[in-house]
Amino acid sequence: MKKILCLIFLLVQAADAQVAFQDLLKPPAESWLSYSGDLTAQRHSLLKQINTTNVGSLVPQWVYHVKDSKRLQLTPLVVNGIMYISHTNEVYALEASTGRQLWHYRYTQAKRHDGNRGVAVLGDRVFFVSSDARLLALHAKTGALLWNREYGGHEQNSQVHATLAPLAINGKVLVGVSGGDCGIRGFVDAYDAETGKQLWRFYTAPGPGEPGFETWGSHPVEISGGGTWMTGTYDAGQNLVFWTVGNPGPDFYGESRPGDNLYSDSVVALDAETGKLKWHYQFTPHDTHDWDAQEFPVLIDTVFQGKPRKLLAQANRNGFFYVLDRTNGKVLLAKPFVKKMNWAREVLPNGRPDVIPGMDPTPAGKVACPGIKGASNWFSPSYNPETGLFYVITIEQCDVYTTSARPYKKGECYDGTGAEAIPAEPGQFFLRAIDIQTGNMRWEIPMVVKDTMEPWPGTVSTAGGLVFFGDNEGYLSAADARTGKVLWHFNTGQVISASPMTYSVNGKQYVALASGTDIFSFGLFEPMRPAPVTLKERYETRETKGEGP
Amino acid sequence: MSLRKLLWAFLAAGLVTTELSAQDSTKPVGKKITNPLGKDKAAIDAGRSQFNSGCAVCHGPTGQGGRGSRLAEVDRVRQMDDAKMFEIIKGGVSGTQMPPSSLTDEQIWQLVCFVRSLNAGAIDQDVPGDASIGDSLFFGSAKCSQCHMIRGRGGLTGPDLSDIGVTRSLDKLRRSLEDPDATIEPGFQPVSATTLDGRRVSGVAKNNSNYSIQIQDSQGKFHSLLKRDLKELVYHKNSLMPKVALSADDLQNLLAFLSRQSMETPEERAKRLEHGKEVEP
Repeated sequence: MKKILCLIFLLVQAADAQVAFQDLLKPPAESWLSYSGDLTAQRHSLLKQINTTNVGSLVPQWVYHVKDSKRLQLTPLVVNGIMYISHTNEVYALEASTGRQLWHYRYTQAKRHDGNRGVAVLGDRVFFVSSDARLLALHAKTGALLWNREYGGHEQNSQVHATLAPLAINGKVLVGVSGGDCGIRGFVDAYDAETGKQLWRFYTAPGPGEPGFETWGSHPVEISGGGTWMTGTYDAGQNLVFWTVGNPGPDFYGESRPGDNLYSDSVVALDAETGKLKWHYQFTPHDTHDWDAQEFPVLIDTVFQGKPRKLLAQANRNGFFYVLDRTNGKVLLAKPFVKKMNWAREVLPNGRPDVIPGMDPTPAGKVACPGIKGASNWFSPSYNPETGLFYVITIEQCDVYTTSARPYKKGECYDGTGAEAIPAEPGQFFLRAIDIQTGNMRWEIPMVVKDTMEPWPGTVSTAGGLVFFGDNEGYLSAADARTGKVLWHFNTGQVISASPMTYSVNGKQYVALASGTDIFSFGLFEPMRPAPVTLKERYETRETKGEGP
Repeated sequence: MSLRKLLWAFLAAGLVTTELSAQDSTKPVGKKITNPLGKDKAAIDAGRSQFNSGCAVCHGPTGQGGRGSRLAEVDRVRQMDDAKMFEIIKGGVSGTQMPPSSLTDEQIWQLVCFVRSLNAGAIDQDVPGDASIGDSLFFGSAKCSQCHMIRGRGGLTGPDLSDIGVTRSLDKLRRSLEDPDATIEPGFQPVSATTLDGRRVSGVAKNNSNYSIQIQDSQGKFHSLLKRDLKELVYHKNSLMPKVALSADDLQNLLAFLSRQSMETPEERAKRLEHGKEVEP
């Protein structure tokens, strides 16, 4: 009898679960269940109610102001009509069709107040990280805290912090840390989604005796950098997690860390069960330009170079667009996607860049390209399987890189000086469409030339033949995915530091974006209907209790 | 020089100002300024006197709010650190009717003491009773968990109580059990809606605007309703919660259990046992 009761309980639990693991693997449509829509990070929605023929009729449906926010960086998640958004140490649940708040959770004990890029969902839980690198689990229906687990070691090193949206996979929640410019040792952690128990950790800089330790000279591993500050992607077929790793420290001074500095500026393929490294590919060995590899590692299954392949595509901050074989990390294609690039001639057949000598930062300053912000950065690209095009916000810019040998001091940043723009040569944003088969640019949309440091806008692709993108002027725009012709734009009036997404409720498609201090949601214009009857509202006292009205 | 005078000498030397200006919201916060008066009863009484003469006109004599915002039993105030509260009282809030204060720093700290006392949780009191019996009652015969959840266990109809010892005073906890209708928490107003096609949706209103209402039913499911699609909306004046039918001893046991509910770990609480006397673990 007890077994039967247990079985019934489990069935009820399963039926009540909001988001099953299998749901996370499906391409996004009505719901948008993870930071990039699904775990491939293609950021391509199957929705097509809004398409090339009608996008000109797109109008705002609602705006939600996030109190006390400044530069929202999140991508909203939508689960069956409920939107989850995050802000510094806070999470909100909103009704996705109206923008009305359902609940709000705030972690008040946080020791830092950095930006936050979003939440993860699994079962009936919402997961997010606090600025001081704790992982918190909330009940999706109430916002109540279920557990709160310290993971980053902020108490030991105040520079450790967290901003990323966690990655939820089968029964696990994965997180990383920020602070790679300031003397931390980056890692990826996995936790049991139910209990918060730690399952494994992968350090991005190997310890003594581990392969790769020799690539650092005598530099202390504890301050090697290699932050893991963006969400990874996941291949269920191989049960592999792909996580990108940030720059080595000190950022601009390489003499203290002779060697490749593994696994900085790499993508690492980790066994999801154990955290063991299966393979890695380092985009920028011995980086001295702060070119974190945090651009999304997009997973694509398609015919490539004549045979069906499992690919990983990335438009890297160093200026190369890469296509890797994600079963082994071998480079299949690497081609510059910016014109302003002077640090390497090409990527050689062995996968290493053919580096141009003399481009490292100097005490007097050395002009190098791409600039410090990179040819692209963490803002999301997208990939449309129908066009075969990879849409990425791109920056053409060179900067002056300066170096100095300042020793590490605990609690302070460990950057070895920095980089600055060249006033007479301002950078320029573009939206570019790259053919993944060739690495060639199919089309581009140039943006007005202005200071490039403030905006961090990304993209979303849809089956409606559209690519939506934020720009450097606060506009959300929509372009024809095949031609790059701009079909619609809207001025949000604020600096965009986030990427758009799309969802559907009761048959109506919406496109949403965090811009500045607000969440905007757009849909096709429909004339407002007046109420057919006058609503009767009244208050009454009931006699019965406890069973609902 | 007494300890208190030494402290005021430090404050006068600008320590407060320096630390406050250093709290850039994008940077890690260093050692926080805390109220030097802690929970001193005389300071609370002095603060009450200050409050009645200068603050109650807007915030209400018991801090329930009026022309000014509510200050009692409200998370926003409870979660505010001492330095921020001091800064607001001293400098006012620009763009609002909250003026700067001409009180001395000591008087302002007394006000902070009083406002803190308006938000003291039951967990800070020594509540008699057997919490383990209260636990059994909550998840067993008293059936509280049919509607309320604690740390993931229980129902969704009533408020989650995982942190109730921190967020509710003992008096308010007792009132909630003895007279559930006295206060209905925001987000738990029972409602019944009837749509134009005759469908009936009942539950609690998580949100209610002039044009839409969001109802969560007893299974936790959200119902999104536009008011133009409704023909009737009934707000029930009394709470869904029944009056607790327990013996005096068991009521006390249940209170003992509820008053100890906190999502903070014992180590975290140890740091916050005394406002103003923060103890590092």
